[in-house]
Amino acid sequence: MLAKLALLSLFITTSMSAVAAPTPMPEKGGVINVAIIGEPPTLDPMASTTDLVGTISQHIFETLYTFDARWQIVPLLADALPTISDEGKTYLIPLRKGVTFHDGSPMTAQDVVASLQRWESIASRGRQTATLITDISAPDENSVKITLKTPYAPLLALLSLNNSAAVILPQAEAKQNPLTTFTGTGPYQLKAHKPDQYIQLVRYDGYHGREGEPQGYGGARKQYLDEIRFVPVPDPNTRIEGAVSGQFSYVDSLPVESFNRIKSGKDRPVVLKPMGWPVFVMNTKQGVTANLKIRQAIQAALVPQDMLAAAFGSPEFFEVDGAMYPKGNIWHTEAGTEAYKPAGDMAKAQSLLREANYQGQTLRILTSRQYEFHYKMAQVAQAYLEAAGFKVKLDVQEWASLTQNRANPEKWDIYISHSPFLPDPSLSGVMSDTSPGWWTSDKKHAALTAFNSETDATKRVALWANVQTVINEEVPIYKVGNFNSLSAQAPVLQGVTPAPWPYFWNAWLAK
Amino acid sequence: MLRSTLNRFFGMAVVMLLVMTIVFIIVRVTPGDPAAVMLGPDALPADIAALRERLGLNLPLFSQFIQYLTGLAHGDLGESIFLNIPVGEALLQRAEPTFFLTLMALTVATLLAIPVGILSAYYRNSWFDQLATAVSMFSASIPSFWLGLIFIQYFAVRLGWFDTSGYGGPDASFQERIAHLILPAASLGAVCSSLIMRFTRASMLDVLNDDYVRTARAKGMSECRVVVHHAFKNALIPVLTVIGLTAALLISGAIVTETVFGLPGVGSLTVSAVLRRDYPVIQGTLLVVSGLYVLMNFLIDMLYLVVDPRVRY
Repeated sequence: MLAKLALLSLFITTSMSAVAAPTPMPEKGGVINVAIIGEPPTLDPMASTTDLVGTISQHIFETLYTFDARWQIVPLLADALPTISDEGKTYLIPLRKGVTFHDGSPMTAQDVVASLQRWESIASRGRQTATLITDISAPDENSVKITLKTPYAPLLALLSLNNSAAVILPQAEAKQNPLTTFTGTGPYQLKAHKPDQYIQLVRYDGYHGREGEPQGYGGARKQYLDEIRFVPVPDPNTRIEGAVSGQFSYVDSLPVESFNRIKSGKDRPVVLKPMGWPVFVMNTKQGVTANLKIRQAIQAALVPQDMLAAAFGSPEFFEVDGAMYPKGNIWHTEAGTEAYKPAGDMAKAQSLLREANYQGQTLRILTSRQYEFHYKMAQVAQAYLEAAGFKVKLDVQEWASLTQNRANPEKWDIYISHSPFLPDPSLSGVMSDTSPGWWTSDKKHAALTAFNSETDATKRVALWANVQTVINEEVPIYKVGNFNSLSAQAPVLQGVTPAPWPYFWNAWLAK
Repeated sequence: MLRSTLNRFFGMAVVMLLVMTIVFIIVRVTPGDPAAVMLGPDALPADIAALRERLGLNLPLFSQFIQYLTGLAHGDLGESIFLNIPVGEALLQRAEPTFFLTLMALTVATLLAIPVGILSAYYRNSWFDQLATAVSMFSASIPSFWLGLIFIQYFAVRLGWFDTSGYGGPDASFQERIAHLILPAASLGAVCSSLIMRFTRASMLDVLNDDYVRTARAKGMSECRVVVHHAFKNALIPVLTVIGLTAALLISGAIVTETVFGLPGVGSLTVSAVLRRDYPVIQGTLLVVSGLYVLMNFLIDMLYLVVDPRVRY
């Protein structure tokens, strides 16, 4: 009897403890303030490739496709993945029914055609793709057809991306340039925009989202919050204090060295691991780095271990990794990464320099202090390159000047930048022959054409390994490693998944 | 009097024309392309070139300057490249926080500086005078943004009395917006107070040794009455001049403070315009701010003419 009582009491205790800590259910209502790094240059997602524009506008506008939690392409405004025919040259995209714009008008196939045509003429990535597109039409009310000159597999990834984005607008507004009204199909609509003060989004009650559960950027987009307010806070120290004091529900892009301070504050730190990769872009068009041997000497001389340590401090915030995509990503491959040496290879660098018949020309590294980690990496790189025998000059400029000067091949040999891990390798700047760096070669074109023409996802992964190998051989860029990013989130804010472009549908406030 | 006024007015117009020209040239020769900033890091060079064309940035510098002057002659400061609104409208939208920040900072500076300046002069060379001098030297040397960050850390983060930044959300009342200015005004005011304090002290020292002060004392007047009614009243004129100049300086000096505190004022508009290379906004804000400065000087000069008819320009 006593044993039974003991068992019963144990059962009750266990059950009660289970009851005492239930999984909290999402609740509707509330307003969140999100601190962002500054005022976006525009709210037109087609007009800019800036991440900040994508982060905000993705709540207002939607694309035909998007990415799920594993970065696979899933339908958003499209009803399903397209039917691809004509050996990869024709994409028939079925559209979802019942979707309405924020002005209440239904989304039609004509709206989609007009929007994609605007994307072709206005968006940087759209204009690049336009050279491959022969026609965009609406064969019926519920589908859109895109016809290509040649098979181009990155098309779906381009249609899914949220910056320079192929968003769907009402037909009449698709004629605007610049965009003056912001009518999308997204879960939140623009209520007010006071530049440098706030961007106020409110729930769109007529939102017709997908069924089921959220899956990364895809799946259901649940509208728990009444309002999302993006507040520009350009000073990083003020953002840190805002997170420590708990003034904001979410604070984006914090300096990683503030981790301990954030940890002791009211908001809790959120680390996105990994966020992206710092990159040294080489000028392959003219000057000292136009010589392949010189680029290979640079590759051998650099010591990513030390550069990353200087830039990000604790190993908690970086990873030494020569592969273009990190482990766990579908595009991860070690192909060609033998040339990437965590501790450098000084002897090889010096021997390559001799082979290149280097005459002591100055190696000009263009960098900025807008992103302090760029500058710190540049300083370490300079020390190692000089040790290898290079004459190096750091050209430190303000970011706006750098973005202008990097377009001029006469002004630099290396410039420093960074990128998030883009969902499709073809979206990366180095793949374009016209991006600053101007990398063109027969090997590149052969590997890239094979990769871009293949529509089978599994085969594309294998073909990507060839592209990565050519990058490591011809060194148009030097990927330094992987870095993590730091944000902060209020403990009451639930349902936010760390992401390179943070989103707040599915987020809710616990009482 | 009329001749002096006209002379000063003409001088003011020449200064403004010079300012306009210098700002226009400096802005254009500074590297950095608004089109590249606007379109983002992955924009195609062709797109950047097309946007430059649309914005008229490919025109020869001289044509752009003539266009700018013609616009100004019609009262048009141009249109912001990023905000897509006229520069005048952008400035008006940002005037409120800057105006109240300046007013509050000036109040803080005056309320701190004048009593301390009077007491320092009265107790000349005492420990109070030395302490006040040391503190004023210290406050004149520290940057207002540093003091701002200290204030944020103590009053906003530790005590939780204020928000760390911003100017209130969409539903903030006027009082709430003003509450957001308390910390920035305190930090800016504290830094600016030293100049007013030093002037008050020096001016008071001058008058405290004058004959009429001695006479007032000899008549048996209380010390408080002597200091406030006789000495300070006469010492006030140069102090007012400094306060006027400080007000003009504050309008331009609020730039960094507004950025640290995330205030959407004229100062932060200027900083973001520089970072974005929004040429019309940079030109417009600098023109208005320098215009206010020149105007303030003009009014002070005119005030001198009224106060002392012996003054001629």
